[in-house]
Amino acid sequence: MKYEGKILLVDDESHVRKFIALVLKQLGATTILEAGNGRDAVEIYKRELPNLILLDVNMPIQDGIQTLREIRQLSTECVVVMLTSLANRQTVEEALNLGADNYIRKDTPKDEILASLRQTIAECFSAE
Amino acid sequence: MSLTASTLEPSQGTPPALRQAMEQKNAIKLRGRKILIIDDDRINIRILASILQNEGFAITEGNSGEQALELYEEIKPDLVLMDVVLPGIDGFAACRAIKERHGDSAAPVIFITAKTESDDIVEGLAAGGVDYLPKPFRRKESIARIRTHLHNRILSEQQKALVDQLKAANQAKNKLLGMAAHDLRNPLASIRGLAEFLCDGTVGQLTPDQHDLANTIFETSQSMLTLLNELLDVATIEAGELKIHKEPNNLTELVEKAVYLNNINAARKNTKIVFNPPEEAPIVRMDQAKIRQVMDNLLSNAVKYSPPGSTVNVRISGYHPAFNVAVQDQGPGIPENERHQLFKDFMTLSSKPTGGEKATGLGLAICRKIVEAHRGAITATNLPHGGCEFSIMLPA
Repeated sequence: MKYEGKILLVDDESHVRKFIALVLKQLGATTILEAGNGRDAVEIYKRELPNLILLDVNMPIQDGIQTLREIRQLSTECVVVMLTSLANRQTVEEALNLGADNYIRKDTPKDEILASLRQTIAECFSAE
Repeated sequence: MSLTASTLEPSQGTPPALRQAMEQKNAIKLRGRKILIIDDDRINIRILASILQNEGFAITEGNSGEQALELYEEIKPDLVLMDVVLPGIDGFAACRAIKERHGDSAAPVIFITAKTESDDIVEGLAAGGVDYLPKPFRRKESIARIRTHLHNRILSEQQKALVDQLKAANQAKNKLLGMAAHDLRNPLASIRGLAEFLCDGTVGQLTPDQHDLANTIFETSQSMLTLLNELLDVATIEAGELKIHKEPNNLTELVEKAVYLNNINAARKNTKIVFNPPEEAPIVRMDQAKIRQVMDNLLSNAVKYSPPGSTVNVRISGYHPAFNVAVQDQGPGIPENERHQLFKDFMTLSSKPTGGEKATGLGLAICRKIVEAHRGAITATNLPHGGCEFSIMLPA
């Protein structure tokens, strides 16, 4: 399953963006937009309308949960996968309740991240 | 706790054995300790008070059960001498009231009794008294008994303070461990991930030497990450923060997912994990993420300790109300003399991983704690034809 749509990658740590961007490229992504905080992410979202967003939870300026809220007000269509550092049950549940489609722990090995993203993409975009 | 009063000196003529005992007790200073005497007989009080004041104790006097309770709250004595027959509430009732209000931290109560009938003594001990002083008072005996109980009291206070300190220190350690692990984890995960991309040629081909270096970075950061995660788990569990959220879950699905993902890793060693799901999917009330962690651990261990090219078999058995998941490897089995260490913290056995993988010695200890938090059990059995079976039992 290849994914060639526009992707927005949001994380305040550049090393995480670098790593996840490589995973996304392996997935076939060609257009990856990046943001380092939630506020920038919402701005980029409005301008670029990506179909898939990878969204960190803990970020300065505006965290991922608030960002998810704002994005869900703009669109219920785009697929949001949360990037978490701990599988913090409360945060994950809150994000899923707010309409996140899935979550990935950032310390997951890359092949597992790939497998999980492929699955999410297959589920969310297969109807299109 | 401050013990600043000067040392008690044994007086002339103290028998050697008692002298020795007193000198030992002098390591803890008793002078200045507060003793509350409750007796409605003025003469008794005067005799006792003079004996005890000579020994350097601070004396407070009262003459009824009610007064005993009031004075106890006011001066917080280190020891109480209590007459049994008192106007108002008697000595037994007063003692019970003190014990009820202060529990284990209540000062020891010694009853003063004219009668030496054992009924009286038994009732006094049942009311929470630690000892009794028979009237008429024998000076040396009285002092020895009082000192012994004061000494015990101080020792137990010190011990309690020490335990509290240790608890606080352990908590601080766990917090620090948790913070360190948490802050180190993300960067380390990125280092591992980026090294893996270098290795697999996604960003361009490497020379064999470069590949070897990148691979070393990958493997080293991988084992550091595992250690870090396990330290964090231990810190969480030790801090009493292992929270199990049980929900009905399909056990087959969970095992299938774990097998699928662990097969990716196993393939590097040419090892296969084979799972034959049961016909009927068992629904078990469990914390999905935690049981998944246990499965990941058992599966990666099975791969780790089996020679390359092995087959790891996984099966689910049992029926309501308890299900079993068993993981059979083709490793060397568990040496009988090391079996008792298997599920303990930081215990690694003499068996070594067959593909140069690392072992932290925490994985199985964490598994055990998670399974036990589910009221289940984890066991390891050597198989008759070689290899070992790890099995977890989970109540439905």
